[in-house]
Amino acid sequence: MSNTNRALNRILLALGGLVLLAAGGLTAAAGLRPDVAGAWTTAAQQSVDDAQSLAATAPVPEPFRSWWAIAAVVLLVLAAGLCLLWITRQGGGKTHRVASLPDAGRGRTTVEVGLLSSGVEAAISGNQAVLASSVSAWEGRRGTALRLSLQARQGASPRELADTANQVTQGIFRLLGHEVPVLVRITSGNRTRLAGNSRTR
Amino acid sequence: MNTASAIRRLERRETHSSRAAASIVTALILAAAFLWLAVELVLALLGADPLIVRPGAMAQWLVHVPEATVPARLVAAGGVLALLGIVLLAMAMRGGRRSRRTLKSGQAAIVVDDDVLASAVSRRARLAGNFAPGQVTTTVGNGSIQVLVRPTSGLPADRSAIQQAVEEELAGYGLDRKLSPKVRISTEGALGQ
Repeated sequence: MSNTNRALNRILLALGGLVLLAAGGLTAAAGLRPDVAGAWTTAAQQSVDDAQSLAATAPVPEPFRSWWAIAAVVLLVLAAGLCLLWITRQGGGKTHRVASLPDAGRGRTTVEVGLLSSGVEAAISGNQAVLASSVSAWEGRRGTALRLSLQARQGASPRELADTANQVTQGIFRLLGHEVPVLVRITSGNRTRLAGNSRTR
Repeated sequence: MNTASAIRRLERRETHSSRAAASIVTALILAAAFLWLAVELVLALLGADPLIVRPGAMAQWLVHVPEATVPARLVAAGGVLALLGIVLLAMAMRGGRRSRRTLKSGQAAIVVDDDVLASAVSRRARLAGNFAPGQVTTTVGNGSIQVLVRPTSGLPADRSAIQQAVEEELAGYGLDRKLSPKVRISTEGALGQ
């Protein structure tokens, strides 16, 4: 869970897929039909010639020969930069601060994730069904949200875990004094496999 | 802030893939290709030796690909490119549902891994039929849940009792999408249980 722009990911992946599909289709068509192969060669040669004559229209002194060549380099670097920007747009938003309130001109009160973490750990320490817990927070457009992750013992009932999580969530709300969106993840992990089955009750 | 809609949004985002991995791989490949082209172009302008190939030679190769290549190879290469394109398109357009599901709850979005669900159902089936650990295997699929029971050799297993127990267990979870359980009793028995 993060601030990834999912619509952008889908659009850009779809665009990439369409381009590859078109290129693949064209290549395959050139292999199957001689007229497509001929058109390919003609059109490609034409664009190479066009590029060369275009380069001649805006000359600069050696060693760069043409403004158009410099423009092409800049464009390529810019495109690479946009790709890297796309990578940096994945995820993000993680924060240590769960809540922060001004205190009538005498400073601010800030609640950090660590406080909630240790509180949750203490709350579930006696619970046989939960092997481990973690709390994290992230800052989205709609404010701060919490993620509470519980690692389940093998065979533990999801309903019981969900009820435990609900109680813990209530406790967090009481502690903070206000409600925040909470995501509860009930997972199995390495400790689930190592810790063995729950005893029959 | 509307809490209910915020919870729904959390549930949806957690049960569906963000396609971040595919995006990062695609962006890295594209960025590397663009940067390499830029470097080759600069090197060619400066008259230096190319890293791999000069842009001019690259362009000429591209012009003469259809003449210089065996048609079968062109078709094969085109097929591979198109397949990659279809994979990317499928990743973008499909739902991207992950193997997790949502439990109905009061104030939090609760998302459970399918294998947690499977092991809980296994445990319930084991208790219902009085089996040892390892005799019941559960697989959670998209809309169904398969419970495979390997009964102890010589002892019959009561399929309908196990089926009923599993159904009760699932009904108690309050899953957002209904999972229909199918219990199968293996014809091979387990020895020494």
